[in-house]
Amino acid sequence: MKTITFTIVRFDPESDRAPHAEEYSVDVHEGARVLHALHAVHARDPSLAYRWCCGSGQCGSCAVRVDGDPALACITEARNGMVIAPLDLPVVKDLEVDLAPYLGRLPAIVPGGCAGFPKKKEIEAIKPLRECIECMSCVSVCPALKVTDFAGPTAMRQELRLALDPRDAGDRVAEAVEKGLFCCTSCQKCWKVCPKEIRIPGKAIEKLREIANRQGLTLPRHAEVADLVRTTGRSVARTKETLLEQVPEVIEPYGKVRATVGFFVGCMYNGRLPETALDMLEVMRRNGIRVVIPHEQVCCGSPLIRTGQTTFLDHLKRRNIEAFRTRKIDTVMTMCAGCGSTLKHDYTTPFRVMDATEVLTAYGIEEPAKLHLTATYHDPCHLLRGQDVRDQPRELLKLVVDTFVETPNQCCGSGGGVRAGMPEEAAALGEMRGEAFEKSGADIVISCCPFCEFHISEHTKLPVKDLMTLLREGYEEKDRRKTSEP
Amino acid sequence: MRTREVIDCHTLVIGSGGAGVRAAIEADRYGETVLLSKSITGKGGCTTMAEGGFNAVLREGDTCSVHAEDTMRGGAYLNDPALVQALVADAPARLADLVSWGAVFDASADGEVAQRSFGGQSFPRTCYAGDRTGHEIMATLMERLRGSGVERIEETAAIDLLKDGERVCGALALNKKGEIFAIRADAVVLAAGGGARAYDVSTNSGTGTGDGFALGYRAGADLIDMEMVQFHPTGAVYPYDARGRLVTEAVRGEGGRLINTAGERFMAHYDAKRMELSTRDVVARAIATEVLEGRGTANGGVWLDVTHLPAETIEERLPVMLAQFLRFGVDIRKEPMEVAPTAHHIMGGLRITPEGQTSLPGLFACGETVGGVHGANRLGGNALADTQVFGKRAGEAAGRAPKRPAKIDPAQVEAQERRIAAFFEGTESPDSVKGCLQQAMWSGAGIRRDAAGLKRTLATVEELSAAPLRAATPRNLVECCGVQNLCTISTLICRSALLRPESRGAHWRTDVVQTWDARTSPFGHTHISRAGASIEEVRG
Ligand SMILES: Cc1cc2nc3c(=O)[nH]c(=O)nc-3n(C[C@H](O)[C@H](O)[C@H](O)COP(=O)(O)OP(=O)(O)OC[C@H]3O[C@@H](n4cnc5c(N)ncnc54)[C@H](O)[C@@H]3O)c2cc1C
Ligand code: SF4
Ligand code: SF4
Ligand code: FES
Repeated sequence: MKTITFTIVRFDPESDRAPHAEEYSVDVHEGARVLHALHAVHARDPSLAYRWCCGSGQCGSCAVRVDGDPALACITEARNGMVIAPLDLPVVKDLEVDLAPYLGRLPAIVPGGCAGFPKKKEIEAIKPLRECIECMSCVSVCPALKVTDFAGPTAMRQELRLALDPRDAGDRVAEAVEKGLFCCTSCQKCWKVCPKEIRIPGKAIEKLREIANRQGLTLPRHAEVADLVRTTGRSVARTKETLLEQVPEVIEPYGKVRATVGFFVGCMYNGRLPETALDMLEVMRRNGIRVVIPHEQVCCGSPLIRTGQTTFLDHLKRRNIEAFRTRKIDTVMTMCAGCGSTLKHDYTTPFRVMDATEVLTAYGIEEPAKLHLTATYHDPCHLLRGQDVRDQPRELLKLVVDTFVETPNQCCGSGGGVRAGMPEEAAALGEMRGEAFEKSGADIVISCCPFCEFHISEHTKLPVKDLMTLLREGYEEKDRRKTSEP
Repeated sequence: MRTREVIDCHTLVIGSGGAGVRAAIEADRYGETVLLSKSITGKGGCTTMAEGGFNAVLREGDTCSVHAEDTMRGGAYLNDPALVQALVADAPARLADLVSWGAVFDASADGEVAQRSFGGQSFPRTCYAGDRTGHEIMATLMERLRGSGVERIEETAAIDLLKDGERVCGALALNKKGEIFAIRADAVVLAAGGGARAYDVSTNSGTGTGDGFALGYRAGADLIDMEMVQFHPTGAVYPYDARGRLVTEAVRGEGGRLINTAGERFMAHYDAKRMELSTRDVVARAIATEVLEGRGTANGGVWLDVTHLPAETIEERLPVMLAQFLRFGVDIRKEPMEVAPTAHHIMGGLRITPEGQTSLPGLFACGETVGGVHGANRLGGNALADTQVFGKRAGEAAGRAPKRPAKIDPAQVEAQERRIAAFFEGTESPDSVKGCLQQAMWSGAGIRRDAAGLKRTLATVEELSAAPLRAATPRNLVECCGVQNLCTISTLICRSALLRPESRGAHWRTDVVQTWDARTSPFGHTHISRAGASIEEVRG
């Protein structure tokens, strides 16, 4: 037996005005799960409300938030100091939330399709979508659900499951569109918290969007982007001198060459924010990183994949891979979170792919001057969850500002084609983000993604900057301070 | 405590596991159906936890009569032959229902539902969906249910069956707020699952407090073979709180070896021919004996070892087990698992006809709540089939029951209101009474039984049954009822076990010497009801 002390967020909507945290110390056995710690509290205070049935991760009754993120209480190990809160859904009491409305959104099969048992191939396609235990963890974190009447991630999983089943007679794709198929920002949060790791955004939503595309249901704004990529190789129209037009193929560092990387520019940095990319290149020069920039590279295809328009994707992939392969580059650096995630997950590359922040932390950087700023950081979804890059940007940011403050993470609303296709939803999520940043006490917001930066800046009074721009400013400040020294 | 309102319906189904949901889907075809569930619909109970599979005769070469014979042999010939006939005859059609409703069973290379071998069967007839077959069945049933007209009342427990004279005419239900409802019905289907949670070490869901047996018993129904409790040989031992969690039979199927602390493959002493793949009762007894005789681990288990298998085989065939043990810091590719027997299934229960009719008019039952299908020992894969076969039969029979005017007995309602209100005046924590009960049952009415131990346990259970349980808040009332039900079924198990002076199937009496085997046994079912208890003696 050991004693653990932990906190439970308790709330009885019938008698309390607001939730309150209560601390408990209980004795539990070695290896106890969160559920057993709750049992121990319940034995002492039977008024604690929480759900459980199977105790083995199979019924989906017991999902709660453990230190902020959803987890099954019966599976997750109990730790000293943990904070247990209900899922972010309407609370019935304490850790019990109202699941019924969300369970009710799961569509039922409509019999009348072809009779008989599906083919082995069909079964294999449906199986991964069947592991859902309806715990509603995914629903509780989905940003789209907070601002639209999107039916939610697991409902989309169920729509695809039915769409793939020859026994079902429903018109699933049209139904999915109606239920908000295009509301998903592809933030990846749902599957990261899914106890069964069902990759809903990639394996269900994008697949449904692909079928929607074949049925002519793609949103007109998304189709326009696809046309642009098809005709120009880029997902944004040329409005000013692009990065590729401004830079040579190889950029040598100032000092000794410590490493050579290829740079995959991406449409946004190339066409909309070339100045930010130039800031990054300056930081690389300063740190001994030689950068090779093949000029024939094109759009990575992310805007097409996320919106289900995959018909000419292979062409883009081949061209991009060849651009780096023929130059014998073993590390390709990305700067846009979306491109990075796409290259890492949707491509099979003969080279490794690293985000610029990964490159810099891997090789170590010259210290910049500390700017007199209180900065907060916005995790781009495709960097945090798409690439598991969390600490690197924070490490770098802390080098260049006096004070760093956290803001609880959430999607800004610009991804997955939502900014183009569902502007109201994107704006609503942007507003939520803006408010959160303003509450954080920071006087500047830093990010590492052109889409996030662009979108957030429209929804906050605070300045929004890319981390690379700030690092460059840090170096310039350092130089200034040095020259002004007597 | 005031009873709030009366809900009126044609069929009331109690319990939303595989049997209950199947019954509700069927009953819905005949009239207004209410599905009452202690948990969120579909989440409680053991169906969703079932891993292995569903037995049905599907392929050429296999026949229903062979399935029946396997079931009878496995059940030590204590099964009710008519129920076994119904089980094996209907299982293929009930599997076909699931398939037509969208079930995603694994497919064989020839595009049919795949089948694998399970213990005690002469043909590979177990259909499966990976190692989450029960979950697949529940998901399919829930999809079907959502598309039906069945009204669902969730997180509300049946606390007593309502009676109009001898007839069952509904139930009283208690919700989380502590409100009592009366539900009047022309017919009631009891499908509240099993009760292996009466034991300290169990594979069962937290909802498995034996409510079905207790409700039926209190209403006066006849229950048979309540002493027949299956102990699955391999349950987890560590960590303490996960004790009893099922370690699937597939581990032994894939070649897992049972080893004692002396390093011996001890099954050689118990069943040299079938070794680890002997029947569940034999393996469970062997492990219990090894531990008792001092050849067990410090945690009271033995080793189950697959380290001689290639790592890839383990990763491919036993992914859930691998992940489950890794979570607890054991890599089964490199170290053995520690296992011990765990209470798994109650074979006994309400006596029914093949139509699911109990001994009480108006009351039907199906699933683990009934007795007679599996005799003295259940074959793996037969329980899921049982939920579908008898769920459909009971749902249909209840649905076909004639309409009857409502007459709820106010005295009965008041008695229940008083019983519930008394919990607020109680003094004993239900959690701690439950703990004592589970310990007592485990040590005195578990795998090894003798008359002295059973009597001692019965005395303890009776004492615990009398404890004035305390509900600190209205939410705790359902827990108090659950603990009382556990006490009731523990009493039924002990009393029935004392009635049967023989070792048969899962019931192992170490204090009787017998000259007969299962086939020549002079004994039939044990019966227990409010009217009394007895054992059938076969003469001649
Ligand atoms: C871990 C495990 C693995 C298993 N694997 C297999 C297998 O591979 N193959 C096989 O054939 N069998 C297997 N079994 C056995 C099989 O799963 C069960 O016997 C069967 O599913 C029981 O179904 P049921 O519908 O009768 O009850 P359950 O599924 O247990 O459902 C009971 C329902 O009743 C509800 N309930 C209980 N009390 C009340 C009340 N008072 N009021 C209202 N509702 C109530 C519960 O909430 C629940 O919904 C396994 C069992 C376990 C525990
Ligand atoms: S990816 Fe994000 S927006 Fe899309 S369904 Fe998942 S949680 Fe919701
Ligand atoms: S998809 Fe995953 S997180 Fe969502 S309800 Fe299903 S199991 Fe839970
Ligand atoms: S209690 Fe069933 S998933 Fe945790």
